[in-house]
This record gives sequence, structure tokens and C-alpha cells, in this order.
Amino acid sequence: MKQSERIQISDGSVVDQGFTQQVIQLTGEEVMSCFQCMKCTNGCPLAPEMDVPPNKAIRYVQLGMRDAALAADSIWICATCYTCTVRCPNDIDIAHVMDTLRRMAYQSQGDATTKSHIVHFHELFLKSLKEYGRVNETKLLAKYELREGRFLKDAKLGMKMFFMGKMNIFPQKIQNKEQIEKIFERASKRKG
Amino acid sequence: MGIQIAYFPGCSLHSTAKEYNDSIKASFGSLGVELKEVPDWNCCGATAAHSLNESLALALPARNLALAEREGLPLFAPCSACYHRFILANRKLRSDDELLLEVNELIDPLVYKGGTEVRNILEILVEDVGVKTIKKMVKRPLKGLRLVSYYGCLLTRVPHGQASDDTENPVYMDKVVEALGAEPVPWPSKMDCCGASLNLTEEAIVCRLSSHILDNAQAVDAQAVVTSCTLCQLNLDMMQSGTKPEYNHQAGLPVFYISELLALALGHDFPSGQWKKHFVDPKGVLEKEGLI
Repeated sequence: MKQSERIQISDGSVVDQGFTQQVIQLTGEEVMSCFQCMKCTNGCPLAPEMDVPPNKAIRYVQLGMRDAALAADSIWICATCYTCTVRCPNDIDIAHVMDTLRRMAYQSQGDATTKSHIVHFHELFLKSLKEYGRVNETKLLAKYELREGRFLKDAKLGMKMFFMGKMNIFPQKIQNKEQIEKIFERASKRKG
Repeated sequence: MGIQIAYFPGCSLHSTAKEYNDSIKASFGSLGVELKEVPDWNCCGATAAHSLNESLALALPARNLALAEREGLPLFAPCSACYHRFILANRKLRSDDELLLEVNELIDPLVYKGGTEVRNILEILVEDVGVKTIKKMVKRPLKGLRLVSYYGCLLTRVPHGQASDDTENPVYMDKVVEALGAEPVPWPSKMDCCGASLNLTEEAIVCRLSSHILDNAQAVDAQAVVTSCTLCQLNLDMMQSGTKPEYNHQAGLPVFYISELLALALGHDFPSGQWKKHFVDPKGVLEKEGLI
């Protein structure tokens, strides 16, 4: 891929022409065919909470506005419900594009987002998965609550679920744990 | 009937959704569907994997697809979120030989050839078993029970393709509800999003979305909600639990798994612990209709 060319335009935002190509290459989606009908955003259940709704995120990709797209809170709030994807008249898998932006943001800036708690939750989830091959929800929740300093807020809910028999204290481990460790090891070396 | 299927319970059916697991085993046993648990299955990766690392989002499901392929059986994932991850990974791996090769390097010593079909609970009930068969096997019709079918997001939303049920107005769950003798009530929130895994990170959003769904169920005078998704069940039920100031919706609507109602209608008697796993105790509604 040729070196990205970053150009500052009149309103101060930066345009990175390589960004558009990079997203197209990573997703295989024809993002340039979006004509802003806004069906995605009109159907998006999270749009009222988003700083950059899906139609705008796609526009940022088309225009090469890398920084604006990757700094958006929306990419972390997107619940991956796929309403946008199935309604797109141009058959763009928009949820996949949002997902890809999320991973690009994570690779370039880690948890440096106002939604860092969501990043932390995902990291702890994968840590639990790597350790056991399955996710132990009790341990994951406890770790997340401690990490974000909100232990007392969910204490009543957690205790209730424990007494309802919905939480396991002891994690379930798979037999071939080393296979999962290998998958994580190899996946960390493979880009993307 | 002789239907055999590779069963992938997934992490939540062994914890927060144990009642889903128990009722699937009870009802599928009565229907003559043999569940062979995928040996040594692993977590599908869920939202975390596809948010942070695409290789994991492909390889983690691929290992399970490979294990099911060895058994020569279709893979049944009852959790909608697991199901969707399998559908997405499978579509990608089947349409791209180069990618399949790369993912096989990640899951080595296992090998996936692309031969596993993925099924959800409604596809098995409607397409494999058939509603006519289910209707014939009902011993305890759920007569008089007014239910809203809540599909949630992921069962029919397949990118670049067509799901078996209608994408915008699915009917499979209504068909099953009807076969069990209950009344499927039309309502506008069939496919609305409950907020899913944001329940731990963005409660305010989940409260808004889930409360709206409960409001709509109340507005059509439903007696209960029926679903097939673990996160949908948890969020709607929890929203009425009173365990936090925000979780205080007053609908008082039990949220059933479709398999719980199926087992009940097929004549299965649950131990009382089954209903204790619900925040909103369904016993009141079931007793009122003379079902327990």
C-alpha cells in the first residue's frame, strides 16, 4: 500500500487518503457506494447515544477522515445488532465496518478513548477465555467491577444472581487448554 | 424421528442461563432430538473477540466448527450471540479458501474443511422437527396464555445473504408458540435491541432499550415474554428485578425461554428450582392458567 498522505483541510480536520483504501481492504466492503440514504442511522437503536452515527462513520471513511472516525465513541457503543447491515440498499455490511474501525482504533490507540471501560471489559473477557478456554462470568464480573471501581453498585445484583444459582464460583476449564493458548499466541502475531 | 445434532451450549448456558440448558435437554429429549455435546468446546469469542481481534473472532468459532465436523453433525448453538458468531465465521471461511487456510494454521492441530451447518433453536423446531409434529406431541396445551415472541437482533440478520426466517418480520417463534396452544400476540418490538452485552458497561442505554421493549409488551396486554436469546432474557428479566434503582420496571412480566414453554407443553414437570432462576417469578402466571 502506498504511503498515506495526510492533508489538513479548511475546517482543520485531517484527511488521510490511505485510510479509505485500508478500510476497504480490511473489510472487503464497497463503502464508496454509500449515497447517504441514512437507513442505517434511522434504524440504529443506539443512534440517539452516538456522537458519530453509522451513516456519518461511513462518510468519514469515504473522505479519509481517519482521526475523526477512530476517535468516535460510537464505535464502542455500537451493539453489533446488524440492523444497519441488513437494511443497506447498497449491501454494505456496515456493522462489519464499525467493527473494523473499532479494531483499528484499538490497535493504534489502545484504551485511549472516553469509553475505555468497554475496552477493559473486552480485554478481561479475552483474558478469562485464554485462561480457561471458556469464560467464567463470576470471576470476569468481579475483576471488571474492581478494575472500574464500581463494586458496591452491582453488589446486590451479583449476590441475588449467585443465590439464584446463575453464577459459578469454580471456572470450567476445557481439556485442551494448550490449543486455546496456541490460538491466542498465533493470532497475536497475525495482523488484524 | 432420528435427528442428531452437535450441541454447543456456550458459556452462558452453563451459568446465567442454566435454565435454558436444562429446558432444552428436557424438551429435545421428548421430541426425540439427540443432542451430542461438542467434545471439549471452547467459548465462541463473543463481542470481545470481534471487537479487538479479527483472527480470534474467526479462529475461536472455527475450532468448534472443526470439532462438530469430526462428528459429521450440524452444530446447534442455542445462544443467539454464539449462533451469529458461528454464522459469520462460517460464511467467511466457506467463501475464501485462502482465509480458511490461514485460520486452519491458527487452530492447528485441528482442521476445518468448511462442512459444518449451523442451526439455531427455531430452525431446528420449525424446519427439522416441524410444527405439526410438535402440535401432535403437546400433552399440556398452553391454552389462554398470551405471549409476545421476542426474537432479538441476531437470529435473522445475516450480511450479504438471506436467513431462513423473514429478516424484518420473523414468524418461526410465533409458529411454535401457536403449536403449543398459546396465543402469539402481534407487537412492534419483535426484533428490537435490548442493549445486549452493554448491560455491564452502559447501563443507561440498556435501561432505555429494554424498558421500551417491556412497555410495548405491556401495551398489548401480554402475560409473558418468550425468547430464545440468553442476553435478551437476562436484560428484560433483570430490568424488573429491583436490584438497582435503575432496574425497576414495574411490568411484572415473566421472561421465558421458548424451551421452557416447550418442555412444559410436552408434559415435563420442572423441579421448583427452574423458576427460581427467574427474577420475575413465572409461577403466578402459570398457576393462573392451570399449567402447574
